[in-house]
Amino acid sequence: MPADLSALLSAPSGSEPPAARPLARALRSPLTVIGLALVGFHLFLAVFAPIIAPYTISGIHTTGLTPPTAEHWLGTDQIGRDYLSRLMSGGRVALLVALIGVSAAVLTGAALGLLAAYRGGWLDDAIMRLTDALMAVPELLLIAILVLTFGKEIWSLAIIVAIVYTPGVVRVVRAKTLTVAALDFVRAAELRGERPARIMAREIAPNLLGLISVEFAIRCSSAILKISALSFLGLGISQPTPDWGLMVQEAMSVVFTDPWFLVAPAIALSSLIIGINFAVDGLARAYGVTGAGSEGLA
Amino acid sequence: MSHLRVENLSIAYRDDSGKEAFAVAEANLAVARGESLGIVGESGSGKSTLARSLLGYVRPGARISQGRIRLGERDVLGLSAAELRSFRGGRAAMVPQNPLSSLTPHLRVGDQLAELVRAHTPLRGEVARKRVHDLMERTGLPDPDALARRYPHELSGGQRQRAVIAAALIGTPELIVLDEPTTALDKTVEARVLALIEEIRADLGATLVYVSHDLNVIRRVCSRVIVMRNGRIVEAGRAETVLRAPQSSYARALVAAIPRIDVPAPPSAATGAPVVLRTSGLSFAYPAPRRLFAAPPKTAPALDAIDLEIRRGETLGVVGESGSGKSTLAALIAGALAGHRGRIQLGDRVVNGPAAQRTPDLRRRIQLVFQDPLSALNPTQTVAEILSRPLRLYHGIGLAEARDQAAALLAEMGMDAEMLARRPRQLSGGQQQRVGLARALAARPDLVICDEVTSALDVTIQAQVLDLFLRLQSEHGLTSIFISHDLAVIARVSHQIAVLEGGRLREIGPRDRILGAPQHPYTQKLILAATGKRSAEPVDIDAEVKQLSLTL
Repeated sequence: MPADLSALLSAPSGSEPPAARPLARALRSPLTVIGLALVGFHLFLAVFAPIIAPYTISGIHTTGLTPPTAEHWLGTDQIGRDYLSRLMSGGRVALLVALIGVSAAVLTGAALGLLAAYRGGWLDDAIMRLTDALMAVPELLLIAILVLTFGKEIWSLAIIVAIVYTPGVVRVVRAKTLTVAALDFVRAAELRGERPARIMAREIAPNLLGLISVEFAIRCSSAILKISALSFLGLGISQPTPDWGLMVQEAMSVVFTDPWFLVAPAIALSSLIIGINFAVDGLARAYGVTGAGSEGLA
Repeated sequence: MSHLRVENLSIAYRDDSGKEAFAVAEANLAVARGESLGIVGESGSGKSTLARSLLGYVRPGARISQGRIRLGERDVLGLSAAELRSFRGGRAAMVPQNPLSSLTPHLRVGDQLAELVRAHTPLRGEVARKRVHDLMERTGLPDPDALARRYPHELSGGQRQRAVIAAALIGTPELIVLDEPTTALDKTVEARVLALIEEIRADLGATLVYVSHDLNVIRRVCSRVIVMRNGRIVEAGRAETVLRAPQSSYARALVAAIPRIDVPAPPSAATGAPVVLRTSGLSFAYPAPRRLFAAPPKTAPALDAIDLEIRRGETLGVVGESGSGKSTLAALIAGALAGHRGRIQLGDRVVNGPAAQRTPDLRRRIQLVFQDPLSALNPTQTVAEILSRPLRLYHGIGLAEARDQAAALLAEMGMDAEMLARRPRQLSGGQQQRVGLARALAARPDLVICDEVTSALDVTIQAQVLDLFLRLQSEHGLTSIFISHDLAVIARVSHQIAVLEGGRLREIGPRDRILGAPQHPYTQKLILAATGKRSAEPVDIDAEVKQLSLTL
């Protein structure tokens, strides 16, 4: 081909790098912005609630349940503690438990899923049958058994979340690894004679990061809901720690006379969950992560 | 009076940054009844968008910003949704590229066609069945009654495309739009499908719009052609004129880039050079799937007793169609497959088993370049990382030195050092494949195996990559096995040519002897298909049936 023509050809068509600004693209969607704002708001509260709350969570100000007043914007609870202050701290424990538990679940789950898919053979069979066995037990039953075994401390709850959420992560990561491992750059690494550990860590794992982040966020929102449900059932966080699930449960008896006691923690909980889900949705789409574990969606 | 008329048509869509861009800009067309128009262009030229709009279709997110489309007296863009439904599949029909995705997998072929007959004609029951039978017969499908009971995945590629063409004929259309209908097919099958399309046009007197990236195909079926680039029609005229004397610079480049079988041979390597690779009796059979409670079925060998010899500085072109075993051959020599029988010898060393069992030095000496560059390059790594790894692994050099050498390799490939910081998705297809080649050369190998390395590229990009390959051959005395389904590509780069069919080596010899005086009938058929001359032999349905029974 004549030189001038090849110059003409190589110049425009698609040689420019695409505008690689997924974050900017994500922020164009109002839902994503709302989601990120809600998550940021709740994280801020969780960290600073003890400092910015008007009262302490255990200080007793009245003799019983009172409606909102100028001093106590959301009134006081049955024991006379400031409801707003307790509400502001009500997500802390659930959030902490979810973050620790899901982090552990995602780390072990991703490692096991990667190993199962790439090594295959008996290791794959062993890991997958173990996951199947765990997933075969009804979730609530499994949690109840684990609570009876480990207790209701923060660390116990985190371990329980980790155990319950690992199998799902294993499955999703294994499926994605199978797709990535079928690509030719993995073949190229094998032909170079790279060690399997290096191939998994350097070639495959970076391609799983998007999926793993989405898994983490989605499962966090699911875990927070689940912990609240446990507290509601009396299997999770217990008095005197403030917790939204617990607060909803306590408000059940006065729901017809003083509905804000139920509505306030319910709004707090759902705004956090919705915030996470909106944010994940937008970010996952912008970063092109597909096939994320929608099964983890609560 | 033209039958199909497109006036000043523009189709706009929003790109990633939210700006309005034009997939098709100010297109004008006029096609007479019974004429066939080719639309040719490379990926992203807007050819498919234009073709689909002729049936009143634009993809979601795009809109027709101006212009008119008329078919006969009908204003296509003015049709209501209900009118469009009966228009498509009735007066106008579409034959898409991938026949497998346009047939419903869980319905028998005959049932799908019958459903379309009921939707577009008043025929019902046995009469509808009869119509299906006639159409299948008309499109050259063997034994229509038996084939009608099969599911789409039980048909061969050529048969599927015939079934889709049969579906397009149901409403006796005035306009048939074909979007790359033969791109997924082997060359010899393509030649037969093209003959069928030409026959049908003559029969029905239908107006044909044929979209393709392949000028050779356009030349065979179209009397007139338009060339598109970046949404604009850059040239229009009689197909022969445009192909022989293109006016616009882009059309000239496109025509110049068509691989032709009658190109001069690459400068030959020194005679008497030492043998780099020798295989003798090389055979391979894919292991039979494990079955519960049953003896494993016997599998046909994917490769059967292959004897090859490649000398230093020489390129051996391996040509064959899908299922010929050419990729298996590449995988065995490169070490991606375990369990061959026979002997592979590199220099004076016997190569045993897959890459994991070879010595590091043996692994370095044989390098493989993959077909799909996007799959072959890790999307999370930069070009620098991709190229540094083999440099450091094989030559034990430091990070900084590896980076310098990577830059030098890129320069060798005609790419800037600033590309080192890019990731594969930020490169064009041609650049990706150059990086793939550079990674192989980073090992300073004795033998480079190129497995269909230009098949995923547009024709002008393919020409550039082939130019690069020829330069590497002459400047560095590259020794390689170049695998392709395209005889014209093989003819451009090879000193020796091997013809594979069904796992057997049909013919091997010096390039000019194979191209000029082919001995084996299969080689002769390949050459006929590549030169576009219609073979005198009747449509070979037996072969297709045989191929099918093999795949079943």
